[in-house]
Amino acid sequence: MNSMLSRRGFLRLGTAFGTGLVLSANSPRPLAAAAAAASGAPEIFSAGQWATIEAMTSCIIPTDHEPGALEANCVNFIDKALAREDAALLPTYRAGITAFIEESQAHFGKPFAQLRVDNRNRLLSALEQGDTLSWPQNLAATPQLFLHTVIVHTLIGFLADPGYGGNRGYAGWQVVGYPGTEHHMGGYSKEQVEGTAPVIPMWKTDRSG
Amino acid sequence: MTTKSKIYDVCVIGTGAGGGVMIDQLTAAGMDVVALERGPLLSLAEFNEDELKTVIRRQVFARDKVDTYRQDEHSPTEKGNIAEITHCVGGSITHWGAWAWRFRPDDFHVLSKEGPVAGASLADWPISYEDLEPYYYRAELDFGASGDSGGNPFGAPRKQPYPNPPHPWRPSSHRFARGARKMGYTPFALPVAINSQVYGNRPACMYGGACRSNGCPINAKASTLSVSLPRALATGRLDLRANAAVYELPLDNSGRLLGARYLDEDGNRHEVKARQVVLAAGAMGTTQLMLLSKSALFPDGLANGSGLVGHNYSYHHYPGVAAVFEDDLRAYTGYEAHAAVDDLHPSDSSRGFIRGGVIAETNALSNQPIAFATGLHQFTGHARWGAALKQRLREFPRTMAFAGICEELPMDSNRVDLDPEVTDTFGLPVPRVTKKNHPNDAVMHQWFCNKLSELAHAAGASQIYQIRTPGAFVDKNNSLKSNPHNHGTCRMGDNPSASVVDKWCRSHEVSNLWVTDASVFPTAGGYNPTLTILANSYRVADYFIEQARSLSL
Ligand SMILES: Cc1cc2nc3c(=O)[nH]c(=O)nc-3n(C[C@H](O)[C@H](O)[C@H](O)COP(=O)(O)OP(=O)(O)OC[C@H]3O[C@@H](n4cnc5c(N)ncnc54)[C@H](O)[C@@H]3O)c2cc1C
Repeated sequence: MNSMLSRRGFLRLGTAFGTGLVLSANSPRPLAAAAAAASGAPEIFSAGQWATIEAMTSCIIPTDHEPGALEANCVNFIDKALAREDAALLPTYRAGITAFIEESQAHFGKPFAQLRVDNRNRLLSALEQGDTLSWPQNLAATPQLFLHTVIVHTLIGFLADPGYGGNRGYAGWQVVGYPGTEHHMGGYSKEQVEGTAPVIPMWKTDRSG
Repeated sequence: MTTKSKIYDVCVIGTGAGGGVMIDQLTAAGMDVVALERGPLLSLAEFNEDELKTVIRRQVFARDKVDTYRQDEHSPTEKGNIAEITHCVGGSITHWGAWAWRFRPDDFHVLSKEGPVAGASLADWPISYEDLEPYYYRAELDFGASGDSGGNPFGAPRKQPYPNPPHPWRPSSHRFARGARKMGYTPFALPVAINSQVYGNRPACMYGGACRSNGCPINAKASTLSVSLPRALATGRLDLRANAAVYELPLDNSGRLLGARYLDEDGNRHEVKARQVVLAAGAMGTTQLMLLSKSALFPDGLANGSGLVGHNYSYHHYPGVAAVFEDDLRAYTGYEAHAAVDDLHPSDSSRGFIRGGVIAETNALSNQPIAFATGLHQFTGHARWGAALKQRLREFPRTMAFAGICEELPMDSNRVDLDPEVTDTFGLPVPRVTKKNHPNDAVMHQWFCNKLSELAHAAGASQIYQIRTPGAFVDKNNSLKSNPHNHGTCRMGDNPSASVVDKWCRSHEVSNLWVTDASVFPTAGGYNPTLTILANSYRVADYFIEQARSLSL
């Protein structure tokens, strides 16, 4: 049974993710990504790929009066996940980023990361509509699949435990109003459950750094 | 193959709800039990609210689980996650939401009550509510059920109060109750097997919120892992073997089982010998194992003379709406569901369908944010990205769900068999589900969704979206995937040609084979099934022990 690990399937999770995203369910432990995320240095992305994906994430969850994907460092989450549990998505990213950079050139004559925000949004809408100029016809990573994959990864990077390299400074949890994994901080009192006592988010009580 | 000469009194396969109780009761009665469980023994440290690891990537529970699905013989088979079950010591009840219902008396007599229905394989249970009532109470006592005794006018009659008082309610529970009262319904505290006070040497709940899909890090939530197995181990009579995937149940020449054969994690084969074999591998696992065990005597699978093993596979329907309010509902605290209404449960064919189900207040698609955020678009059709998405994400603390658990009608053609192509990590053919909905189910589903919308309106929601149940997936044919409740594949009944096991859950054909998981349910009931699985196992255990004492086993 030495082939056990290689036989662990990568499942198509049609469930919470809508269609098309392949995430590695049932992947082996331990969680290498958690360990690797301690370092913010790129493991998978080149500088250009990093900048492209980072710019995409910041369109998906923009910064307003509160932090967005940029501040939460979602690109770092994605880079570390692709190096580990989500390695099955590497082909989608590799082919998708290349096609996406071309697409940006075709529309605006510039790499995506250098576009103004309104043009970035235009390009993502074009991807969503399949309204592309130069995207290769037979690419398995269709514009929609590529966009959808980055969207779901950005959301996960924004909202997963900071140990995975995103959700920096609990930025994501702060934005959505999730107070954190409070069970391990002592849980909630009866009054907090009932709504008569305030809930203190874990980043206000966490002293571990 | 290693074979030890020791002959155990009983071999129990699977340590979940159905198996755990048998292990506990039989060891307590002095029997030597070997328990074979294909999953690992998890430590409480694994239950650490890491949503990505546990819920999204499923790296804790059932990391080796694969099953396949097709609608019928002519449609393509997809690999997927049909049954949301667990492979670990303690089984699926380890990460249950702990809703702990007694079935209503009429749930046991669906055929008599409704009459035959075209396309459905309705059946009566060979037992009644009265047969199970004392065992429901035993399960509630052991699992520390908390609830509102007498609070549900439509529930099964109780002789004793719940052992533990109800838990506090969240603002979301009160919203639900307000809407329900406006509609003329009677809200009450949903019964849960979660300690509302220190009970049974287990602490009171800390209301961290992430019960469903997670194990309880402090054992305040009852499960066979926290209640039954520790007790059984303490007797010294339990030989518990984790990472032991049973692949065959061998027979002797007289047609009695010899024990079980299993693979360990390195692929080595082992055999254990036992006088009695209790199969409790869940509706999927039990079917898989019986169909794998072919012999000259049983060419279609063990104890499958009726041809019914795997057939009549049923689960529940989960109508639901998400409702957004103006203030923090605290639905991320507590546990999955604190309040319920049962007024819509009694069958009433004037609604356009038969049977019904319970409805409850639950958290916002999930009590944790990733499942909420990644489910938003699919569940509500909201913007996928950009400023509009971010606005939606901020609704997390103000969102709750109103959800139903509805009885679906069993159909003979809905079944589990062995996939001819796909194998699991142990090299065994995986369970393949072939399943469609009965027309009754779709009508019921939509009717309940409409009622839940009305209820959310009455509760004062500012926005309402029809959704699919948290974690569950309903495809365009309204067929559910990723479902947590799996039953029916080895029906119990009095007639050997119309059922797989008898009323004592003993095989009609192999005298030392018993089945005590949810496979034996002839119909699904309009509630979560597990208290009934537990109660039924206590009932079977009593009979088993009595038979053993009178030497009739
Ligand atoms: C997320 C979730 C939430 C739920 N919430 C609720 C709830 O709130 N209330 C409720 O009533 N129910 C709930 N359920 C359902 C409940 O978990 C199941 O009904 C119950 O656990 C089924 O019991 P069982 O004994 O039939 O099977 P299981 O508990 O699944 O046990 C079967 C065991 O057999 C093992 N096994 C399988 N094949 C083999 C083999 N070949 N060899 C050895 N071992 C094997 C499995 O690993 C497993 O441990 C929930 C389920 C899920 C997934």
